[in-house]
Amino acid sequence: MGKYVIKRIAYMLVVLVILSVIMYLIYGLVPSNRAYTDATNEIKALKSVIPKDQIDKKFDELYLQYQRRYGTDTDNKLIRYLRWVGVYPLYDGSYNGLLQGNFGYSYDAQKPVVEVVKDPMINTIKINIWATILGLGITIPLGIICAVKRGNKFDNTVQVLTILGYSLPTFVISILFIWLFCSKLGWFPPSGMKTPGSSYVGMKKFLDELYYMALPLIVMTFSSLGGMTRYVRASMIDALSMDCIRTARAKGLREKTVIYSHAFRNALIPIVSLVVGWFLGIFGGSLVIESMFAYNGMGKLMIQSLRTADYDVVLLMQMFYVAISLLGNLIIDIVYGMVDPRVRVNN
Amino acid sequence: MSEKKNSSGFGATLKRWFLRLWKGGNALNDELNQKDNMNVEDIVSPMQQVLRNFFDRKMAVIALVVLIAMFLAVFIGPLFMPKYYDAYTEVTQKSIEPNMSMMSVPKELENDVKMIDSYGSFSVGLSNAGKVYVWGSTKIGTTGVDMANIPEDVLNSNIVMVAAGIDHAIAIDDQGKIHAWGNNRLGQFSVLKEGETPNPNIAYMPQELAENGVDVNNVKKLTCGYQCSAILMNDGSFYLWGNKLAYANIDLFLNAGTMYDMDFTLNYIVGINGKCTSIFTGSRGLYDAVRTQVGSKAVKLKDYLDGRKIESITAANNTMCLLLDDGSVCFAGDFAGNMTPVPTLPADEDFVQIVAGSYHYSGLTNKGNIYSWGGNTLDQTEVPKNYEGATKLYSGAFQTYAVNDNDEIVAKWGLKGYIFGTDTAGANIFQRIINGGKMTMTIGAVAVIISSVIGIIIGCISGYFGGKVDILLMRVAEIFNAIPFLPFAMILSAVMGRMTLSEDMRIFIIMCILGVLTWPGLARLVRGQVLVARESEYVTAAKALGVKEYAIAFKHILPNVMSVILVNLVLNFGTCMLTESSLSYLGFGVAYPRPTWGNMLNGANNETIINAYWWQWFFTATFLAITCICINIVGDNLRDAMDPKSNSSR
Repeated sequence: MGKYVIKRIAYMLVVLVILSVIMYLIYGLVPSNRAYTDATNEIKALKSVIPKDQIDKKFDELYLQYQRRYGTDTDNKLIRYLRWVGVYPLYDGSYNGLLQGNFGYSYDAQKPVVEVVKDPMINTIKINIWATILGLGITIPLGIICAVKRGNKFDNTVQVLTILGYSLPTFVISILFIWLFCSKLGWFPPSGMKTPGSSYVGMKKFLDELYYMALPLIVMTFSSLGGMTRYVRASMIDALSMDCIRTARAKGLREKTVIYSHAFRNALIPIVSLVVGWFLGIFGGSLVIESMFAYNGMGKLMIQSLRTADYDVVLLMQMFYVAISLLGNLIIDIVYGMVDPRVRVNN
Repeated sequence: MSEKKNSSGFGATLKRWFLRLWKGGNALNDELNQKDNMNVEDIVSPMQQVLRNFFDRKMAVIALVVLIAMFLAVFIGPLFMPKYYDAYTEVTQKSIEPNMSMMSVPKELENDVKMIDSYGSFSVGLSNAGKVYVWGSTKIGTTGVDMANIPEDVLNSNIVMVAAGIDHAIAIDDQGKIHAWGNNRLGQFSVLKEGETPNPNIAYMPQELAENGVDVNNVKKLTCGYQCSAILMNDGSFYLWGNKLAYANIDLFLNAGTMYDMDFTLNYIVGINGKCTSIFTGSRGLYDAVRTQVGSKAVKLKDYLDGRKIESITAANNTMCLLLDDGSVCFAGDFAGNMTPVPTLPADEDFVQIVAGSYHYSGLTNKGNIYSWGGNTLDQTEVPKNYEGATKLYSGAFQTYAVNDNDEIVAKWGLKGYIFGTDTAGANIFQRIINGGKMTMTIGAVAVIISSVIGIIIGCISGYFGGKVDILLMRVAEIFNAIPFLPFAMILSAVMGRMTLSEDMRIFIIMCILGVLTWPGLARLVRGQVLVARESEYVTAAKALGVKEYAIAFKHILPNVMSVILVNLVLNFGTCMLTESSLSYLGFGVAYPRPTWGNMLNGANNETIINAYWWQWFFTATFLAITCICINIVGDNLRDAMDPKSNSSR
């Protein structure tokens, strides 16, 4: 087991490195020159101080200085990449890259990227925890009921609804729900994160946030409901058709015991992997929903940074997403092995 | 096997695949001796069984029919819209709700027309009895103004003249009193109250006009422009008021003295000076050249007139038509390319009346013939054959009404309305949905084809050859799988946006991105299927016969896993369409003016618009939703139909 995990982690790192190279190269396609911008800005500030004939000279000096500081004083992409990671020295011999904790600088916010990402990350985790609780709380019982009562009216209705849930794009669901719940019924606020101008504390603040969170939460839950319910239903149906269930019924166990104790445990195996995936997913915000409801989370930050061409933020977030998804795969595999004794992870 | 004989070329191979796919082992039998088939028991090939299963499901069949209808609509539909083009905008037709009543003159008015006028989305009409009617799309944007709510005092007075602007209407009753209703937020008919600081952007309605009215017998013309109105008197004096931001030359006009005739284009007030020899706009030389035909070369107005006088001026949005005292017509202004030309009249025929809409002109001749020319994007110049007895023309913005001596409407033609409304640029949403669907589906289809080709090839190779090749390819697949899809596609498209690429190239690259990022799923599926098929007897047999390895992989195994691929193809198509829509919706896919179902919903991103302009998202979203739901239903049912397990349990 230990050997397997180490092997997987090593492999994960290789993939991460490959992807970071790809990402860095794509990012490099953007025609932006940070050193040049900074030097231009500084020269503008200095214009009144230094004499006119020296401005060009001073600019070149500043430009070189900034290039050296940012590690862009070479055209070699490989060296630039290594400097970005932090394994190749800058001009002055120091290391300043990802490994040294330099995650980049957001031009738009004039802050280090880590600080920019912090708040949205907390918000996203907040809303996603609720979404996960709601989602699992609804889909698992629903899936089980549908599987047990397969083919009856209730099951058919849910089947149709779930098709709606996973066929409709999220933004269509959002538009529809905003129209229904904000415009027509007036139940929820259409966007924002708290009552404007309010400064609640304690319970009141919590409830206020929840009130504003409600509609995006409903949309999130609804759009994840479809796929998940079908998945639970399918795996429950598989479990119910197993021989051990027939045996359990034959020996006279109560139907409830058969379903919840025998069948559900078997059905749980594929579900577990999905649940783990979901929990990892709470770090990545939904691009569409967050920007639609003006919810200050990771997804909105991503779109905003893309629009303002704040690529340091985008690059870091992308790397973060990749790392999370790789980690997720690993954890799913390990958990799978732990839940199902038939799966040997060391193979 | 007859393998060797007819395996010449790719086409033959494909044909054999499909024969085997649909007919199974029977294919060979059929080819060899069709007559003996009667004796053989009806063997059902797997594919036939699948089809039977599929068509047993009612919902699947309905979904398939709807899907096919949708395909036909978006791929054949555009052929019926020759006048459609992507960048079409129309400032007077912005955000009009769905209705088809723009030309439906009220019944009571139909036989008793005194006047009809319109500038934008609604029309006003006046009967000989002095009653005012309003029809068309009467709700004005988000202002809450409904033009159909005609004020009480207008309904109770005996109105003699009426005119309509883009969002207001003016009426004069028999006492000379001026009535106005509609949107007044930009000073369309404001009167400066005492003690109020005047707004520099508003030309206020003159005080004495509002209080005392006009001498109604001496009014020559009442006309409204975008957000302005003018009353011209017989002696050449005139009143002019409205929003100065809409017409920059209001002040110049107010200082100009007297006019013989005047009218509004979209951006200028135009008039004819007292001597009837030139067009007055306030700025020198703006309209001093005229042309006799829509596209012909312009000549100096002075030279063209050569002593003749201008009888009247009728202005469209960017052009105007001058009727001279000898019955000839000429035009000033800029004509767009795709205009219907002016008809050449026989020598003894002259125009007696010319009316102008926003882009079109209609003319009535002294022989009773009617011609329409100018802009035809909204069918304004399609004159019907039957207009017997027409002696008078009235023009709406995009309509023309022909009226006979008894004041009955004998013919009307032009824009009826918009079945799905218009968007914020004034374009017909229905046309954009059909054309946008073409784009959305094309992108989805091309992306699926790219991803399938990659997926099938890699899956086949990986599954059949196994070993190191398999490990390597599956690792590559995992790398692609680890990329979070939407953010990555957005980055790529944002990066592309910074580069200078043509729009076609950009769209093609978006297709490629979608295709290249979605293949791992299919590759794995194919690999799994191939792994199973590899161990089967027919492969062993083929090997024993000495068939080459790649031939076994692609010719023998692949056709047998075709069914799984087919299901995946259908479901993937839906996914790719959705992803493209999401990308375009977020503004990182296909860009305006090119329509796709995603970017058409782009504007619906806040509650105000979602509520007020519901038609701008509802229809597009419905088309997108129905298509996606149908694709998923068809795909799911196809999969169920193919699953031997689900057959036995049902």
